[in-house]
Amino acid sequence: MDKRDQLIQKLRNIAVKTPENDVEVPEKVEGFGTIEYGAQTCSACKKCILACEPAALDMDPTMNLPDYLKATIPHDGFRSKNRESLVTLLQGLREEGNVVAISVPDGLPGYGSIAWAADRCIACDKCIEACLEDCLTLEKTYKLPEIIGEVKPPPSITVSKDWEPFILCFVCWECSHAAADLAGLMHLHYPTNIRTIRIPCLGAVEPMHIMTALENGVDGVLLTGCLLSECHYGGDSPKAGNFMQYDFVKFWMDVLEEIGMGGRIHIDSASAAMGIKFADIVKEFTEKIQNLGPSPIRGKLEVR
Amino acid sequence: MKKLFLCTCNKTLDKKLDFLRIEKELKGVFDSVQIHDALCLKEGLAFLESEVSNEDSVVIGACTSQIIGMPMSEKLKTESVSFVPLREHVAWVHSNDLKGASNKAVVLLCDAAIRVDHMDSPTVVENHMEKEVLIVGGGMCGLKVAADLLHLGIDVTILEPCPWDDTAYVEAGQFMADKNTLTKMVKELVSATASATTICCTITGLEGRAGKYGVSLACLDGKVSTIDCGSIVIATNVEQKPPPMAKKLLYGKSDRTILLGNLATLVEKQGPKDVRTVLVAVDPTHHLSAVEGGYLLRVVTEAAKKGNTVIVAHSNIRTDDENIYRAARESGVIFVRGTLEKAKDTKDGMVCRLENTLESQIREFVVDLLVLQTMTRPRGDTAELARIAGLSLDEDGFITTRYSKNKPVQTSKRGIYIAGNGKMPMSIDDAIASAGNAALEVFKDIRTTTRRKGWIPIIDEEQCDVCEACIEACPNDALRLVDGKVTHISQHCEFCGICVSVCPTRAIEFQSHSKESWFARLEALAENHKKMEGEKPFTFVYACSECANASIDLAGFTGKGYPTGTYVIQFPCAGMVSPIEILKGLAVGAERIVVAHCPPGGCHHQTGDHMAELVVKFTQDMLRSIGQDPERVKATYMIAALPNKMQEEVAHRG
Ligand code: SF4
Ligand code: SF4
Ligand code: SF4
Ligand code: SF4
Repeated sequence: MDKRDQLIQKLRNIAVKTPENDVEVPEKVEGFGTIEYGAQTCSACKKCILACEPAALDMDPTMNLPDYLKATIPHDGFRSKNRESLVTLLQGLREEGNVVAISVPDGLPGYGSIAWAADRCIACDKCIEACLEDCLTLEKTYKLPEIIGEVKPPPSITVSKDWEPFILCFVCWECSHAAADLAGLMHLHYPTNIRTIRIPCLGAVEPMHIMTALENGVDGVLLTGCLLSECHYGGDSPKAGNFMQYDFVKFWMDVLEEIGMGGRIHIDSASAAMGIKFADIVKEFTEKIQNLGPSPIRGKLEVR
Repeated sequence: MKKLFLCTCNKTLDKKLDFLRIEKELKGVFDSVQIHDALCLKEGLAFLESEVSNEDSVVIGACTSQIIGMPMSEKLKTESVSFVPLREHVAWVHSNDLKGASNKAVVLLCDAAIRVDHMDSPTVVENHMEKEVLIVGGGMCGLKVAADLLHLGIDVTILEPCPWDDTAYVEAGQFMADKNTLTKMVKELVSATASATTICCTITGLEGRAGKYGVSLACLDGKVSTIDCGSIVIATNVEQKPPPMAKKLLYGKSDRTILLGNLATLVEKQGPKDVRTVLVAVDPTHHLSAVEGGYLLRVVTEAAKKGNTVIVAHSNIRTDDENIYRAARESGVIFVRGTLEKAKDTKDGMVCRLENTLESQIREFVVDLLVLQTMTRPRGDTAELARIAGLSLDEDGFITTRYSKNKPVQTSKRGIYIAGNGKMPMSIDDAIASAGNAALEVFKDIRTTTRRKGWIPIIDEEQCDVCEACIEACPNDALRLVDGKVTHISQHCEFCGICVSVCPTRAIEFQSHSKESWFARLEALAENHKKMEGEKPFTFVYACSECANASIDLAGFTGKGYPTGTYVIQFPCAGMVSPIEILKGLAVGAERIVVAHCPPGGCHHQTGDHMAELVVKFTQDMLRSIGQDPERVKATYMIAALPNKMQEEVAHRG
C-alpha cells in the first residue's frame, strides 16, 4: 500500500460520520485537489494516463456529449479546430431534451473520456502538463465524500466520571520545546493530560502522524511551533515549516469536521521566552477537548 | 480563367436539360461557358485542346466517360480540372423534370467550381522495390511459390530451419493428398526450383517496409546474417497434434493408443498376416475441417484395404470429395456414430466405450489399436515468426489475412504474403492455388510502376497529439510511430483517407479533401439548392469512388430515376467520412445523408465499409442524444450489380 492509500485508509478508520461536502484546499496545501476534465477538446490521446504515476486516470469508452453541448468556445478557439467544429455543429443541431453520454463503438479510435479516481490522485499536475488540448485543470477542492464513502456511526461510548482527555502535543525542538521547558522551570501548572513529542520543525509533522494518533484513540492533537516568521528552518519565507503547517492544519481541521472529528486538532506558536503562553495554550486546548468529550473512535477501538 | 464546358451528348441531353438557362445562371460563376455537342469525339477533344491553356481551371459537365480528360492532361494540371457527370447523375435520372434537372445541374456545376479551387497537386510516390523474394518454409507451397516466381524470372531464397529432401516433403504434406499425387508433385516442384537459393536458417528479426525489408537470420551452422528482400511469402507448414481427449484415451500411457499419422505408417509397412482391429475416434470438440476429414478417410481406406477391421467413431466428418467417402465404405470401413467416452487397456485389447447420446445407446468394442484423429495446427515456430514479423494469429494459431475475401493471401503487413497451410489446413489443390496466388501478388508488387500519383494524407506535426488513432485505423500499415512522431509511409498508402476520419484533431488531412473544402462545398451546395429550389428538401449522398459510385452511374445508364434534390458527393473511400462531414451536411439543411460504401467485405481499401458503418452508427447515437432524428443519417452499400439501390435509398420520406 502506498502512502496515499495508507492515509486514506486512516481517514476512513477515524471517520465517524459520512462526509457530505467537498473540502476546500487552502492555498499552500499541495498534493490534494480535484482534476476537472472537459471532454469537448479531448482527443483521447492517453498522454495524461501515461503521465499519471499513481494511476488515477483511465480511458472510458464513452463520448461525454453533455460536455460538448455546454462547452463555450474561447475567443481564440480550441487548439483542435476539428473538435471546435464538432462542438459547434452539435450545439447547432441540438433539439429539446436531455443530452446523455454515448458509448464509442468498438473499433473506432479517436474518441473516449477520461475517468479520474479521486482517491488515487496526488494532485501532482503531471497530467495537466502532459495534455496538449487543455482538457484538465486542478481545482483546489478535495472530494471527501467520494473518497471516504459511507460511514457507519461507531457504537456510542459511556463516559466514566474520572475520564481525562489524552492529548498528544507535537513541539518543534526550537522555540516551542524551549517554551515548554521554560514553563517547567517557572513551575507553571498546566494539565497533565498532554504528552509532548519533539520534532525538528512543525513542518515535519505529516498528516499520517496526526491521523495515526487519532486512529489510536487520542482525544486531541496539538501542534506548537515557533512564532510565525521566526521559523528556524525558513524564517519569514512563505515556505517556512510553521507557516505551511498552518494551512495544512486548517485543511485537516475541515476534513476532520466533515468526518465527525471536528475540533480535535489545534496549531499555535510560542517562542522560547513564552513559557506562560505555552502553559495557556495547553490549558485552553485541554478544556476544549474536555468539553468535546472523549474521542468517538474509542467506541470503534473497544469493539475491535 | 475559370472555364465551363458543357456537352449535350450529341444533342440528346438538351431535351432533359435547359442548357441556355444553365449557361445564364452560371455566367457569374465562370469566366466562360461553352456548350458543345460531343466533347468526347475527336472534334470535341480538339476543341477542348484549343480552348484551354495551362492558366485555366476547368469544369466539364458531360458524362462519366474518362476520355475527355485525355487531351487536357497535356495542357492542364490534374488539380485544375473537375468533372460533373451531368448525363448519368442528372439528365438520365431526372428525365421527366426539365426544370428540376436543370436546377440540379446548376447546383452541381457551382460545386465543381468550388471543388476545383480546393484541389492540390497529386503527390508522386516512388516505390523502391527490392526484387529479391524471401520464402519462409519450403514445403509444397513454398516450392510452388518459388517455382512460379523463378519461372517469371524473379530471384527467390527459400528458408527452412533444416535441410529437406523429397521424402520429407511428402511426409509433411501427407494430410493434403494421397502419396502418389504428392510424390509426383514434389518431383516436379523440386526440379523446377533447382535454381533457387535454399538456406537453413530461422528468422530472428525484421525491419523495414514492403519493398525493402531487412531480415535477420540465425543459421543452422551457427552463423547470423541478414538478407534484404522486397517481399516475403510465408509458407510455413502444419503439424498434427493430439486432440483434447487424447489424455482421457490413454495416449502416451498405453501403446495401443496411437495417432492417425502412426496408423498411416503402420499400414504402409504392414505385412499380409498382421491384420488388426482398429477403432478410429474423432474428437467431437475438434471442429474437423474438410481437409482433415479427407485425410482421415484416406488413411482408414488404406487400412481396411490391407485387411484390417476398421471402425470409425464420429459425429460428423466433412470432406470436399464424396468419392473418398464412398471408397472408404466400399473398402469395408465401418462407420458408427458416437463419442468415445472411455478406454480401458486390458490383456485382450483396448476396451472402448462408445456413447451415442442421440440414440441413447452405449456400445463397447475391444480393439487392438485405438487411433486418434489429430488436429492440424500451425508448426510450433509459427507464433514466434508472427511475433517477429508483427502478424496477427487466429485462435488456433494460424496466421490471419487482412481481409480474407478481397486479398486472401495478404497478411496484416504489406509486402508479406501467406501461401497455403500457414493460414488454415488446405487440400493440395487449394494450397497450390493459394501459393500461385501469392506468387502472383508478389509479382504484381514487383512489376507495378515504381511511380504512383495520387492525393495522400498530410500530417501537421504541430496539431498532432500523437494519439495514434490514425495508426490504429490505417488498413495498410502506412502510418507508423517513428521517434515519437506519426510518419506516413507513402509507399504503403492506398490513398483511402480512413486515417483522416478517425483523427480527433484533424492534424492529418487528405490532399484536396480538407475539412475546410468540405465545409465550403457543403455550404455552397445548400445555399445554391435553396436559391434554385427554395424549400424543397434535399439529400446528400456521400459515395465512395468505387462500388457506390459505379452503382450510381449505373442507375443513370439504366434510367432508375430518383428525386432531383439528391446530390452525390464523391469521397475516395466511404471510410473517409467522419461525423464532422455528416453533421455539417445536416447543419446546412440536408434532410438526409446517405453514406454509400462497397458491399461488406468488398471495400477496395479493406476496412472502409466497416469504418463507414461505425461512424454512421456513432453519429446516429450522437443525434439521438441531442434530440435529433437519427434516421436522417444512413450507411448502406451500393454496387454496380444493383443499380436500383440509389432509387431505393433516396426516395424521400413522407
Ligand atoms: S494530478 Fe497527478 S495524480 Fe492526479 S490525475 Fe493528474 S497526474 Fe494523476
Ligand atoms: S485529457 Fe488531454 S492528455 Fe488526456 S486523453 Fe484527453 S487530450 Fe489526451
Ligand atoms: S488510412 Fe488510407 S490514406 Fe491513410 S495512410 Fe492508411 S492507406 Fe493511406
Ligand atoms: S489521429 Fe491525428 S492526432 Fe492522432 S496521431 Fe494521427 S494525426 Fe496525430
